[in-house]
Amino acid sequence: MARALAEFARSLVRASTWRLALRGLGRQPRRSAIVLVAVAIGLGSLLVAMALQYGLVAQMAETAIRTEIGDLQAHAAGWKDTAPLEARLLEAESLAALSRARELAGFAPRLRGEALAQSPLASVGVRVLGVDPEREGSVSTLSSFLHEGAWLDAPRRLAIGAGLARRLRVAVGDKVVLAVQDVRGDLTGEAFRVAGIYRAPSRELDEAVAILRLDDAQRLFAVAGEISELAFAARERGALEAPRAEVARALGPGVRVETWRELEPMLDTMIALFDQIGWVMYAAIFVAMAFGIANVLLMSVLERAREIGVLLAIGMPPARMVAIVVTESVVLVALGVAAGFAFGFAVIFALRDGIDLSAFGDGLRAFGVPTRLTPVARSGDVWAPLAVAVVTALLASLWPALRAVRTRPAEALRKA
Amino acid sequence: MSTLDARAVSKLYALRGIETWALRDVTLAIEAGEFTALAGPSGSGKTTLLNLFGALDAPTSGTVTLDGTDLSLLSRSELAALRLAKLGFVFQAFNLIPVLSARENVEFVMELQGVAAVARRERALATLAEVGIAELADKRPLEMSGGQQQRVAIARAIASSPRVGLADEPTANLDSVAASKLLDLMERLNRERGVTFLFSTHDARVIERARRIVRLRDGGVVADERGA
Repeated sequence: MARALAEFARSLVRASTWRLALRGLGRQPRRSAIVLVAVAIGLGSLLVAMALQYGLVAQMAETAIRTEIGDLQAHAAGWKDTAPLEARLLEAESLAALSRARELAGFAPRLRGEALAQSPLASVGVRVLGVDPEREGSVSTLSSFLHEGAWLDAPRRLAIGAGLARRLRVAVGDKVVLAVQDVRGDLTGEAFRVAGIYRAPSRELDEAVAILRLDDAQRLFAVAGEISELAFAARERGALEAPRAEVARALGPGVRVETWRELEPMLDTMIALFDQIGWVMYAAIFVAMAFGIANVLLMSVLERAREIGVLLAIGMPPARMVAIVVTESVVLVALGVAAGFAFGFAVIFALRDGIDLSAFGDGLRAFGVPTRLTPVARSGDVWAPLAVAVVTALLASLWPALRAVRTRPAEALRKA
Repeated sequence: MSTLDARAVSKLYALRGIETWALRDVTLAIEAGEFTALAGPSGSGKTTLLNLFGALDAPTSGTVTLDGTDLSLLSRSELAALRLAKLGFVFQAFNLIPVLSARENVEFVMELQGVAAVARRERALATLAEVGIAELADKRPLEMSGGQQQRVAIARAIASSPRVGLADEPTANLDSVAASKLLDLMERLNRERGVTFLFSTHDARVIERARRIVRLRDGGVVADERGA
């Protein structure tokens, strides 16, 4: 067995093995071309599908991160088990502690609470988000969604989504009363004028959030100088451990620092799920491909039975015969994969400006999906199919190779 | 010790439930340097016996040895190595590799033997010249006549310096002139290089050139005639 494997390995680098394999494929150019095109289209389509799928997920994550979550957030420990106002951090102390942070591109304090928004014509339960208008821009793109009016340009102004404006039946300049239960448990309220109306990429932000200046929110909930959370933008999205450690060190014990993946486990799970689906798609394509290649090689082996009989008769080692069939398979798959990459990446390049999905805008916004879908190719989209293709080529050639090796020279020559 | 030795060899073919004895209890020894014809009508067992001597097939019963080695004890790989080292084949249908040129066909056996590229190229061209078709070195089989292809087959068989040449109806697809030239070549190789030749034929012109004639009929040896 070891000797046969050594002979097989030696055969793979012999010029005559490649010559016989290439000329063997060239003998039925149309058949080889059909398989090659099938592999190319299958792989190319898969690459495009994967790039669109990843683009969708990446944009969903990007939207979630840049709209509101940030790369990291810090809260008082136990914040998930309590009402929004119960777990708070000291604003000035926290900001001072973070002033020397090197791993962060930006950070912003926020206060979260719940309120009943009332207009003369309607009442809607909303989430209140108090932000520092100047700092918030370093973490999120909330202000970029402004569609009408101004962005928290003065005290006692608020910004609401177009959906919420519709529900409350208010416009820019109208008054909205926010009725809340403050931190002491007292029912209280305050009137705000609608300064701006934004159009957010997520339905919840669009229909159920009222954004105030941080000091207005602190006054409303009677938590002066205190905040619910700190949101952070890291310098690199892929390297969050260093900034997380830096923030944790700066803010000290009693503060929980989490990444966006931990804050949005559903999104994280969805990304992982899409990756798994990707592998299933790869497997499906390559299993189909393997059968196609095996079929072509097997036909080729059966058609060349006499030639194989002659090769074995003149003393060619069986391992060399296996090497020739495997080489044919590898060449076929390699050409198909190369053509598939060219096709797939050409389509991805052609779609670089994205596909306009605005016709489905309302439905997509409900899931935080952007209305322009841009394909995103990753290095894994190259290496994964390449690795699977090599394995496929080897597996697909095994059956025909064994069939070739089992050829009885006398029988093959007699049939001739 | 004989070069080729078949002892009590029988071969049964079973095709779709129909059993046919191709050889029955054949015992035959071929000594080194012989120039032997296996003669007999179609179906007499000539090709089957050649295939058994050439380690291309296994007998149903009996033993076949090559230089004293019992072929039934060898694996596929060992049989391939034995064929490569000691045997040269010439087939009735030429059986060249169609995707290789004449030179590449001849070179291929030497490559399997591990001959270096430059040496095997030189030897392939020299061998093609020896069989009189040097000018066809770069032609593929389909671009050659039957006689030319058979000469390439001979060149392929002898380029590897075999001890034994096995030829199955080597002149069957050749005209009389080409057949005569081929036999001249085989005789010269036998005489000058000491290659043992065993060939099957039912052509009277070929039979009369053999120094030993083994006649087969219905799978059995019916006569073993030695000439001068």
